[in-house]
Amino acid sequence: MAIRDDFEVVASQVRTVVQRFALGLLVIAAFGAMLVGKADTVLVEHARVLALDVVSPVLEAIARPVAYANRAIADLREFASLREENARLREENARLLAWQTAARRLENENEGLRSLARFREGPEASFITARLVGDSVSAYMRGALLNVGRRVGVAPGQAVVTGEGLAGRIAEVGENSSRVLFVTDVNSRLPVLVERTRERAILAGDNSPRLRLTLLPSIAGVQTGDRIITSGHGGSFPVGIPVGEVVETSDGSVRVRPFTDFSRLEFVRVVDYGVTGLVGTGAAAPAPATPPGGTAVRSR
Amino acid sequence: MRVDGTLAILDRWGRAALPGTVLLFFVLLTLAPLRAPYLSDTLPLLPVLVVFQFSLAAPERLPGPLLLAMGILLDLLLGGPGAPVGVSALGFVLVRAAVMSNRRYLVGVPFLFQWAGFCILCWGFVALVWAFTTLWTWALIDPVPAILQYVVVVVIYPLIAPLLARVRARDPLNVPELSRGSARPGETTP
Repeated sequence: MAIRDDFEVVASQVRTVVQRFALGLLVIAAFGAMLVGKADTVLVEHARVLALDVVSPVLEAIARPVAYANRAIADLREFASLREENARLREENARLLAWQTAARRLENENEGLRSLARFREGPEASFITARLVGDSVSAYMRGALLNVGRRVGVAPGQAVVTGEGLAGRIAEVGENSSRVLFVTDVNSRLPVLVERTRERAILAGDNSPRLRLTLLPSIAGVQTGDRIITSGHGGSFPVGIPVGEVVETSDGSVRVRPFTDFSRLEFVRVVDYGVTGLVGTGAAAPAPATPPGGTAVRSR
Repeated sequence: MRVDGTLAILDRWGRAALPGTVLLFFVLLTLAPLRAPYLSDTLPLLPVLVVFQFSLAAPERLPGPLLLAMGILLDLLLGGPGAPVGVSALGFVLVRAAVMSNRRYLVGVPFLFQWAGFCILCWGFVALVWAFTTLWTWALIDPVPAILQYVVVVVIYPLIAPLLARVRARDPLNVPELSRGSARPGETTP
């Protein structure tokens, strides 16, 4: 009997202590989670991927009606400006036809020259089409969740493109979901070329809608309106995907507007280029030294 | 008096689970690809609003450990490379504690006072998350987007808060101890 009474007394004392220090314990637990996240990045990465995999079907269910509603609104808006849009498109079509002729001629010529020079093509790229099921946009991050994952061949470091140009790269991959980091994210560093001058540079995001062109040999050679394309350095990106155009060159900084409209992304394509080894696994295990012109995230 | 019977039990369970479910819904909504300008940027702060409002109305149905789990889930889902996991959890727990210890200024007072309280606590939350993210990534992060988020969530507070406040127990005389304001009749605040 006495033992049981003692036990109850101790139990109630423990309960009182826990209640009194509940807040302290919770705060300590939160700090503990942060410390674990700092110390064991791989564990946190696994947890992230697991959470994404669990949540992505729910998100997909939410995303569909939202996408329909957005499309309906966009339709209404376009209806209002149908006439002007038509005229503009007709004009653009005429211009593009002229370009098509030029492109055909150049393609033939290029083929001829390549066979003359025994040029070896790079690996053939294949595409995986994905739906955007979630936004990963906060004050600290620019990204999105896709409904494709390892099962269909998505791997960290692969390029994500839209019809307009490059959107970003794959940062985390789950079984059936993945997270893409947009080029506008503060962690994004992309090796690029200025299309006109073939000068190499790094395109860096800073969470704002404009990108920054850095490590450029000479700023003088860049003009407003120059197109920026991927350079393929680092290995995992194909060469020549359009990224954006220069909109501002003023005292030492070059700003680039990305071609992709991030506010209305719905479907994207993941480029499987066959080579992803050079970049490593992206965020999970950042390379201690960023490879020259690599797309690895900032090392910690 | 407790009534037994399937419906009554279901009712009790539903009431107990409602705040947690609503919070989970808002955490998931954070990732929903809404294309509304400004609104979609503020989605990450809506869970704070839910935590604040339910800590006022029904704290016994939103216990601390649940907030901890929800905060960690939010950080896992939202975070990019390098962002601290658990900082939202810390913020949620602190917001709940702050509401609980200031009930006399927040419960049973005009709506404007509650709004002012939310302004202060939400500011604390935003500052906390910003400070920890900056420390953790060791890079100066532009605070302007966070401040914009804050402004928008404070502005839409009057739209969402009255809806959430309806989870209060029906009978004001029968509310659990935790949900009551701590002021007694005749008591004057120091």
